[in-house]
Amino acid sequence: MPEPDRDLSRKAIAQALADLADTAPLTLVEVATDGVTTFLLQRDGNGSPRGRSWSATWPDLAGERGWDADPAETRKAVLRASRAPSPFGEVILVAASSGDPKAEQALDWLRAAHPAAQVLRAEAPVAALVREVMADDPLTRSYELVVVLIDPGTDRPRLTSRQLFPLGSRPGARTRVSVRCEAVGPNGTAFAVVTWQGPEPRLLSVQSAPLAPGRYEVTAELVRPGRVSFTGLPALSPDPRDWNQLVSALPDRLPGGLGPAHLVCAVEVCGADDQVAERLSRARQVINLASGELGDLLQVSLLAYAAHSYDASAPEFPVRVPAWKAGAGEALDALDALEEQGAVARGYPYHPQAAQVEDMLAVVAERLDWADPTPTVVLTVGGRPPHPARTDPSMILPCPRRHDWRKLLASLRKRQGTVLGAICDQATDQTHQAWHGIGATALAHLEAVDVRGLAAALGLVASSPVHLPFPLLDETE
Amino acid sequence: MQSEPSRGRPDHNISMWGAPGSGKTTLLAALFIALTRRNDDWKIVGSDPASSDYLIERTNALSRGKVFPEASMALERYHWTLIGPAPQKTGLWGRKAKPGPPARIGLGMFDAPGGLFGTGRRPAGGVGAPDGAGDPRRQELLDSLEQSRGIVFLFDPIREFTFGDAFDHMHAPLARLAERMLASGEFTDGKLPHHIAVCVTKFDDPRVLETAEKRRLLTVDLDDPYRLPRVASEDARELFHELCQVSASGNADMVLNALDQYFHPDRIRFFATSSIGFYVDRRTKRFDWDDFQNMVPGEADEDSRIRGQLHPINVVEPMLWLGQRLAAIRPSTEIS
Ligand SMILES: Nc1nc2c(ncn2[C@@H]2O[C@H](COP(=O)(O)OP(=O)(O)O)[C@@H](O)[C@H]2O)c(=O)[nH]1
Ligand SMILES: [Mg+2]
Repeated sequence: MPEPDRDLSRKAIAQALADLADTAPLTLVEVATDGVTTFLLQRDGNGSPRGRSWSATWPDLAGERGWDADPAETRKAVLRASRAPSPFGEVILVAASSGDPKAEQALDWLRAAHPAAQVLRAEAPVAALVREVMADDPLTRSYELVVVLIDPGTDRPRLTSRQLFPLGSRPGARTRVSVRCEAVGPNGTAFAVVTWQGPEPRLLSVQSAPLAPGRYEVTAELVRPGRVSFTGLPALSPDPRDWNQLVSALPDRLPGGLGPAHLVCAVEVCGADDQVAERLSRARQVINLASGELGDLLQVSLLAYAAHSYDASAPEFPVRVPAWKAGAGEALDALDALEEQGAVARGYPYHPQAAQVEDMLAVVAERLDWADPTPTVVLTVGGRPPHPARTDPSMILPCPRRHDWRKLLASLRKRQGTVLGAICDQATDQTHQAWHGIGATALAHLEAVDVRGLAAALGLVASSPVHLPFPLLDETE
Repeated sequence: MQSEPSRGRPDHNISMWGAPGSGKTTLLAALFIALTRRNDDWKIVGSDPASSDYLIERTNALSRGKVFPEASMALERYHWTLIGPAPQKTGLWGRKAKPGPPARIGLGMFDAPGGLFGTGRRPAGGVGAPDGAGDPRRQELLDSLEQSRGIVFLFDPIREFTFGDAFDHMHAPLARLAERMLASGEFTDGKLPHHIAVCVTKFDDPRVLETAEKRRLLTVDLDDPYRLPRVASEDARELFHELCQVSASGNADMVLNALDQYFHPDRIRFFATSSIGFYVDRRTKRFDWDDFQNMVPGEADEDSRIRGQLHPINVVEPMLWLGQRLAAIRPSTEIS
């Protein structure tokens, strides 16, 4: 049979497949020299064609009695083999024999049973042709990759899908997608393809790859309907999680994106020389780290406070503000100067139990612009507790200016976008209880401080990212 | 300042007694300062040069060095004499024609030994008082109590918060004293012949003042320029009782019982005492409820310091009360 016939059959089958409704199947009955083969083609939930076939030889159909013994019975057997009971589904009859009497007979019976059926002439076997048509079936649904997008306003991750292949795409189609991975998860990152029909996506396939953090240029290829392959990723393997598990693995919120910040560093500069030096160097580490990460987005204020003097003959050092809302460089210069000056001895050791923490808080509260929404970190580095506002059983003398550290801390904590951190000389379980308020958000021990962890807890540097079950869509392209 | 040792035997003796660290030495130094400031006729002098030196040294430490006097290991070696005003030479109608000698009251100071129930708990750095009846120091205390008719007992409420051993320190010597008095036939009406001034010390401590304030026991002397809060003597017993409620051992209540058991009610008087008094700002010269703490605790091994001026409260009063009461008794030792 000449090629044009095959082409015509192909087109006809392809067309019938394309017209296939979601509910009714397409039945293709091939009548060949040796028997009847029936193909039942259907679309699955994702719109991919699925086919099954049954074959029966003439002896199978005629049985012991022989083809001609009881034509009525033989006819019934042939019609049963065609498996086309549905009055709705389309039926195509393919005549693949050339003049075989049994085949002609069978075709006649089938034609009579399905008067609306198209009859195609083709060369046997037709199975390859059916497979070819099915594999080349253009998509009846849009294929999309499940990705995570971060809402810029709220930092909340949400799931969405990015189209890989539009309706009508044919196998061999390729699409490139840029995705990012922020953190490694135990089950890897899932590349899930969904099809859309109506409001709900439908899962087509999930495979996971052990992605290291980074950006990936992924090429998706439509291998055939229902199957998408990815290149540009580590080896993909089946993901043990079901869809619900995957979706519920999505965190509520991402660690805050880094934006402008105001770091207020207050350092206690009285006490032993090496202790003061240690505190200043911790402040330096935090400023360096934050400015390395935030660059020009970081503003730094530096305050130095010491002990109150209760001796009229030894006037105390008031709280000093060597830098306010300055660049990191300027603040570090001011820190240099403080380091050169060393520990403040004045007012010491007259009242060794406490320091001017409350005066420092008062200065910070007064200097801060309360209408400014810039996220603010107040980091106190010291050891002594504040003075109480009035005589109390603590046996610490009251602040000469009657500042109330409790009230000041409470108002700073209420200020929008303000967090309080502290690095305390004493271990956190031994420190004066006031330090738990001074470092309400994060309290670290001077000797054992994890500077990066502290800065991350205060939102000055990105904290270790959370794992997302799906790739993040990289929108920088 | 009188450093001349007083000659002659005192008419009466007072024994000052309290747990180690209860504030005896500080009280003595404050007494010296307070008497000097009062400018009335009472004065305190050493009974011998060593005692005078001790007094001067402790007083200087307190008033100039702003430090508490150092604990003395051998306090009981020192003796002082309170010398009262001489009786009026002539009354208007010359009822007392002959000028009498001034009242002389001997003053001895003792660290109370741990009692029968001695717990062995001692404040750090305090003077240890070994237990045991054979302890010579206990013997000395008993001898002194026997010869005295006046007792100043120092009750340290701060110590009571933490150690709760005031009863231990008080009961055993009182029981032994009663034994002796009974033996010498001086326990006639079932009570000791002594007067006792119970001084609740460290009244300036915020915890103590707060307790007094909560019980509404505070008054202010109208002629006190500093308006320092005080507890009147009539209310001091209630303060004492109240402070006993927060005692660490819960035994402090028994102190009151023991007092009532051994002393005639007329012969007990309570005082809310502070040797150093409250802090008063030099400029405002007024007591400030927000800022009255006069004692600054030292760090670790440093000594406590005194922040401002001393304003002793009820330091002279117990002595004068005892002095007046004892002067009214015909001194048994008087030789005409
Ligand atoms: N707050 C306060 N503390 C006192 C006062 N007197 C003594 N202290 C404290 O008690 C400690 C012991 O006092 P001290 O006079 O040596 O007691 P002693 O062992 O009975 O002689 C002193 O170091 C002070 O810390 C007082 O009037 N007020
Ligand atoms: Mg002493």
